[in-house]
Amino acid sequence: MTRLTLDELAQLDELQTAYISALDGKKMRSWLDTFDEDPAASYICISRNDVENGLRIAMMLDDCRDRLIDRCTFVDDIWAGTFQDYRTRHFVQRVHASRRDDGQIEMTSNFSVIFTPDDTGLPQQLAAGTYEDVIRMEDGACRFLSRKAVTDNAVMPRYLVFPL
Amino acid sequence: MDVQEAYLRDIVWPANYNEIPKEIFNRQDLYQAEIARIFRGPEWHPVAHESEVPNPGDFKTCNLADVPLLVIRGDDGKVRVFFNACSHRSTQIEVKPSGNRKEFECPYHRWLFNSEGELVGCPNQREFIPGFEKKDYPLAQPRQESVGGLLFVTLSPDTESLDDFLQEAKGSLMEVMAGDGRLKLIGYHRVRYLTNWKAYSDNDGYHPPLLHQAFTMLNWQGGEGRQYATTGRGHYCIETKLTLPQPTNLIRDTSVIHFRDEGRPKSSSVLALFPMLVASNYLNVISIRFATPVAIDEVEVTYAYFAHEDDDEDMVLHRIRQSSNAIGPSGLISMEDASVFHRVQIGNRAPGNAIFQKGVADPSRLGFEFRQNDESANLPHWEYYRAAMGFRRTAA
Repeated sequence: MTRLTLDELAQLDELQTAYISALDGKKMRSWLDTFDEDPAASYICISRNDVENGLRIAMMLDDCRDRLIDRCTFVDDIWAGTFQDYRTRHFVQRVHASRRDDGQIEMTSNFSVIFTPDDTGLPQQLAAGTYEDVIRMEDGACRFLSRKAVTDNAVMPRYLVFPL
Repeated sequence: MDVQEAYLRDIVWPANYNEIPKEIFNRQDLYQAEIARIFRGPEWHPVAHESEVPNPGDFKTCNLADVPLLVIRGDDGKVRVFFNACSHRSTQIEVKPSGNRKEFECPYHRWLFNSEGELVGCPNQREFIPGFEKKDYPLAQPRQESVGGLLFVTLSPDTESLDDFLQEAKGSLMEVMAGDGRLKLIGYHRVRYLTNWKAYSDNDGYHPPLLHQAFTMLNWQGGEGRQYATTGRGHYCIETKLTLPQPTNLIRDTSVIHFRDEGRPKSSSVLALFPMLVASNYLNVISIRFATPVAIDEVEVTYAYFAHEDDDEDMVLHRIRQSSNAIGPSGLISMEDASVFHRVQIGNRAPGNAIFQKGVADPSRLGFEFRQNDESANLPHWEYYRAAMGFRRTAA
C-alpha cells in the first residue's frame, strides 16, 4: 500500500464525477466509459446484509465487460418506454484510496442516492452505502476495473432501472 | 352497521365474474378487515424455505402483515416458526434480518431462549409468580406445516390442513421446487412496491407476455402448456414447455437467458397461491417470492432464489448469474412488472370496475381450466376473495 499523490487523487475525483454525471444524466454509454476495457471489468450492486451472509445474488451482477455493455442495452433499448422514469442525484464522498502492491488503486467511498420519480415529483432516498472499487490508473487513463455498490438498505424502496 | 362493515354497504360487487370493483384497492376499513380475515384468519401463508436456515442456530425474521415472526433451525435440526416476541412482556426478540445465534436473549429483562424456543434463563426468578416454571414460557408459535421444505403458518385454529388448502397446487409447488424441494439458498432481492397487496398478487403471477419487450426483441415465443386454478382458493398455475430464444446479437452475454439441462423435463412453471405467494421455475431460476402487505398501498417482496442440493459449483454460479440479472425487480425480462404494480394501483383510484377480457367466454360462469395466456385464470382467486370478505354479488 502506498499513499497517492495529489495529482493521482485528482484523477480519482475526475473518474468519480464522470461516473456521477453519467448516471444523473442517464447517459449509459458514458457510464460504460468509466469502466476499463478489460473483459473482466465488472459492476455489482448488492446489499450489505447479503454480503455479510456470504450470499452472491446481486440486484445487478455485471461481472464481465459484456454484461456492462448489456446493461446499457437493457436500459436504453429493451426497457425503453416500459418503466416509470426517475432522475437520480448521487452524493459521493471518498473515504479511502491507496495503491496496492499489484499497482492497482483501491478506493472506498460513501454514497447517498436521492431519486425523483417523474410521476410523483417528490424526491426520496433511493439507497445509501459504499462503493468498493479497484481502479486501473496507467498512462494518463483512470478507469474502474471493478465497482461494487454495497447498499446499507437491505430493502430497496422500489425497483432499480439504472445502476447506483 | 358498524365501521368494520361499512365497505360491504358502500361497495357494489358486479354480477359478472370478470368485473372487480376498484374501490376495494383503496378502502382503509376494508384493508383492516383483510388483515383480520385473511392475514390473521384461516389461510396458510408461506414464510420460509428450510434451506434458508441450513445450520443449527440459523435464523431469519420476517413479517406476516403486521405480525413479527422468527424462523430458527434448532440444535435438533428442526425448523420452527415463532412469534418474534418475548414470552414475558412481548419485547421483539431478534432485530436482524438473518444470522446465526446459539441463544436468543431479550434485552429488556434478559430472558434467554435456546434455538428450540425454550426459556433457559431468566434473572430474579424467585420474585416471580408462585409456581413459575421456565418450561411454561417458551417462545409462542403459530401453527405451522410444510411441503417440500416450504414452511407455512396460519394464525387461526380453524384453517384446514395445508394439503387441503393447496389441493392440486401442491404438485405444482413441488415442481417449482425442482421436483423434490431439496434446495440450497443462493440469495435474495428485497424490494417494496407501492401497490395494494391484491394488485400485487393479481399481477405478479399472471401477466401478458406483451408486457415484456425482451420477448419481442429476442423473438422469443412461449411454449405450449396449460393453466389451471384450484376450486378451493383459486390458486393458479401456468405450466408450459420451456422454449428458448433464437440466437441473438441483441445482447452479448447470452448466459442470462441460457438454459442448462437439469436432467428434468424442460418446462417452466409459475404458481400463484392465495393470498400472495408467487413461485416460479423459469430457465434455471428457482424463485419463491415471499410477499406481505406493509400498508394499504405498499407491499414488501423478498425474492428468495435457490439452487438444487445436487448442483455442482458451475451450475450454482450459473443460477446466481441468471437469477441476479434475468428475473427479479431489476431483471432483463421482469423489471417491467414492477412498474405495472405501481401503475395499476394509481389507476385503481379511478371509479368503476376493472374488467378481465382474455379467456372470458361467459362472464356469468367461473371456469378452472384455461389457455396458458388467459387472464381469466385470476378469476377463481377473486371469487374466493369476494366470498371470504363477505361481499354479495349483484343479481344478474
